[in-house]
Amino acid sequence: MSEAPILTARDLGLAYGSIVALHGVEFDLPPGRIGLVGANGAGKTTLIKILLGILKPTVGSATVLNFDATSDMLDVRSRIGYMPESDCLPLDITAADFVVYTAGLAGLPANAARQRASDVLTLVGLEEERFRPIEGFSTGMKQRTKLAQAIVHDPELVFLDEPTAGLDPAGREEMLELISRLGGFGINVLVSSHVLGDIERTCDWVLMLDGGRVLRSGPLSHLVDADVVAVEVIGDADRVAQHLVAAGAAVDVTGPRLLVSTTIDDPFRLVRDALAETGTGMRSMGPKATTLEDVFLEGSES
Amino acid sequence: MTDKGVVYDLGYVPYEGERRARRGAIATTYRDGIYRVFGIRRRARKKILPWSLIVLAILPATVFVGFAFLLSTFSPEADSPFGGHGEYFSITGGVVLLFVALAGPELLIPDRREGVLSIYSSRPLTPDDYIGTRAASLLTVVAGFMLIPQVLMYIGFAALSSSGFFSALLDNADEIPKILAATVVYALAAAPLALLISTVASRKAAATGIYLGVLFVGTGLAAALVEATSVPGSRYAALLSIGDHPDFVRDWIFGLTGSSETVMASAGFDPWVSLAVIAAVAVASSIFVVWRYRRLM
Repeated sequence: MSEAPILTARDLGLAYGSIVALHGVEFDLPPGRIGLVGANGAGKTTLIKILLGILKPTVGSATVLNFDATSDMLDVRSRIGYMPESDCLPLDITAADFVVYTAGLAGLPANAARQRASDVLTLVGLEEERFRPIEGFSTGMKQRTKLAQAIVHDPELVFLDEPTAGLDPAGREEMLELISRLGGFGINVLVSSHVLGDIERTCDWVLMLDGGRVLRSGPLSHLVDADVVAVEVIGDADRVAQHLVAAGAAVDVTGPRLLVSTTIDDPFRLVRDALAETGTGMRSMGPKATTLEDVFLEGSES
Repeated sequence: MTDKGVVYDLGYVPYEGERRARRGAIATTYRDGIYRVFGIRRRARKKILPWSLIVLAILPATVFVGFAFLLSTFSPEADSPFGGHGEYFSITGGVVLLFVALAGPELLIPDRREGVLSIYSSRPLTPDDYIGTRAASLLTVVAGFMLIPQVLMYIGFAALSSSGFFSALLDNADEIPKILAATVVYALAAAPLALLISTVASRKAAATGIYLGVLFVGTGLAAALVEATSVPGSRYAALLSIGDHPDFVRDWIFGLTGSSETVMASAGFDPWVSLAVIAAVAVASSIFVVWRYRRLM
């Protein structure tokens, strides 16, 4: 990681009585689009609330944009935006009035707040509906309004907690597209989601939580590109595996399928040589399609 | 030069203007509180009750001044049949309690029920800022409620005075601190309790009902117990007449204690006891509300 981190945690922990929500959490997260993934109850929302200064950690510390999340809470909140997972919209006012109000809450003067609200509501696709009361909005329109209030003040970093929750497939696509564009606006993003596919599509760094602990943290490309070759052979798979192990590769055999990885040589070349030396036929060969889900399951099982 | 227009897609434009951070957040929350209690930027039905009560508070003052004008025109020597500033508080005092019964819940409950507190929690605003600003909005409106008709009467009667406008203003200047003191007393008696009830109630209608019940049923019950003189110590039930305390203190401020018909007067208490009860309820309510919101936000 060449750039200075925008989010850090050191031995961060929080317990609700005897229930430990976060324990020994450590990370350095770079600028860009960061995915915060984990199952329900993994501690994602708790972590976001600590970073916002809403919850105080029991132990450890965290920084946001180089400000201490607890002692410099107001400095942090002046620079970030937050889209909560839960309902957060007043139903009896228009989207325009609400977003203007939230811009004012972020410290923007009245005229600038009105101008920014208009621009941002147009950006999220609510140009036509912005003067309608929120109570008549669909789930997708409400999610867009929530996103608009989170970015109306042009924050340096925005926290999006389950931004696609409750959306239909089309709405989900549009929301993911919007999130992907935020990076181009110079806004760093932390997206919390339990839908790993959403993270794969929008983020370039992943922080995985499981049971209140950090499972993995790293660039998405490093996590999913594991240099593993998947081969399906016609013949004796165990014999091919023995050749590969002798050549220094790690092999996982399941029936006629082998997963081959090595750090000392090109795995494709090793497989080719092993098949040739054993005279074994091959049905298919290619890089293993590792998804974030595979990484998560692998990490949580170990 | 061409006559063809050009459309530029500016896309997202970063904001590089002024950021007022906490100061701006507090000012915005305060202004929103005022707007909210008057139903401004909300549907018409949200405006009906608050504006009706404002009319109810101001209209009598207008009528009094108008009647005084007619009286001064046709019978300059006759005394006004209406009371002065002290008596007028008995009109606005009742109206303001009704107003606060509606405004207190409106200020706090929707933000909690609709989850908007999570938005405040992501802005440069502390829980104390939020609840303090909401209380300031309510106190401002209550003070306006009490003062606007008083100012109307003060200026109106001075304009009609036979001794001249400025002379009358100066002659009655001793009323000004009394009006301000009574306004503070009514505001402190009404607002903190309403905020306390709105902090624990989950629905606006329930909060309004509980508030009015505490004020009116409590006062009625206290009056009944005070009258039941056969019960030892029954006079102390007068302390429960929450809705009556500000009237008793007002009578004290305006020198009307001898004619006071409040429960506290019937029970033989001094006005400072009512003042102490108002202060104690206000302080206790404020402490609880602040404590509660520090846990919520």
